[in-house]
Amino acid sequence: MLSKMYSQALYLITVVILMLSCSSQSGQQQDYSPKFQQYYVQGGVLYQKYCSNCHQNNGKGLARLYPPVDQSDFMANNFEEVVCIIKYGKQGPLLVNGIDFNMGMKGNPALTELEVAEIATYIYNTWSHKRGLADVKEVTQILSNCNN
Amino acid sequence: MRLIHIGYLVYPLIIGLFLLSCVTKEEKLPIFGEREVEGTDTVYHTIAPFAFVDQDSSTITNDTFRDKIYVADFFFSTCRTICPIMKTQMLRVYEATQEMPDVLLLSHTIDPEYDTVALLHDFADRLGVESKRWHFVTGIKDSIYKIAQTSYFATAMDDKTEPDGFIHSGAFLLIDKQQRIRGKYDGTKEDDVNRLIVDIKRLRRESEK
Repeated sequence: MLSKMYSQALYLITVVILMLSCSSQSGQQQDYSPKFQQYYVQGGVLYQKYCSNCHQNNGKGLARLYPPVDQSDFMANNFEEVVCIIKYGKQGPLLVNGIDFNMGMKGNPALTELEVAEIATYIYNTWSHKRGLADVKEVTQILSNCNN
Repeated sequence: MRLIHIGYLVYPLIIGLFLLSCVTKEEKLPIFGEREVEGTDTVYHTIAPFAFVDQDSSTITNDTFRDKIYVADFFFSTCRTICPIMKTQMLRVYEATQEMPDVLLLSHTIDPEYDTVALLHDFADRLGVESKRWHFVTGIKDSIYKIAQTSYFATAMDDKTEPDGFIHSGAFLLIDKQQRIRGKYDGTKEDDVNRLIVDIKRLRRESEK
């Protein structure tokens, strides 16, 4: 009788631990630091202004004209190039999730390094992305090495 | 007993009246532009004759839209401001009119030097739309600007002070089977485009009569 209760308790504890571990993995790895929050909020405003017309508010892009910034193997594998594209644009074909895009994107050269970092923080922590902060120091370093 | 008989008569009458009030005549959409009265006829503003080339190199004229309702707009492919939103919204119109063979879409480029037939073909193909239902046209720049301004009452012109080099309105124009403008909508606003989709259905009902 006692051993049955023990095993039930053990079972419950295991389930609770599993649930906890799941939620911390699948839940957004949100950074609640004021710095992240500032970048993120400002990045959202800038995304609305400079990016959402084509890439859409939901990050899904538009057909084969404008690639998604939500689920995107290109974004997952090319953080540095994405940072460069935000400021300098991109011409020629671009393969995203196996689909060839080729509309080209004009750059936004007037964006400051901080603004690029804020946009990068926003797009890399919204929808399916959970990359964490894109710090202005890191972004400045990347921007100084873009092939433009 | 007598009371019951009156009830039998009165209630159906009341219900009947209610039903009638539901099927009151639908108000017609307005007709835009100047009008002239010639004898007993009223002559309305219509779209002037035009000839442009679409993404399949087909010549597109007023005849293409004979007995068709269509929605017209002005855009250019490299525009980053309102055009992508307009195209997102026009795609909704395209999808909403999928089952309406008498409804077509007409998008004019206002940058014909860059937006060639080949480019428009690629654009439409990437958008995933059929060229027989949605014509993307190019032509002589002045002709496009002129028809925008004088026929569709839409703004379209060069403006080198603009970041993308052009200014144009984001309007969608609803044109009836007699080539008259019956509605003007902001193609960047979802609500306004919802209204357009409703009005297309109203206009179809009107032309059925």
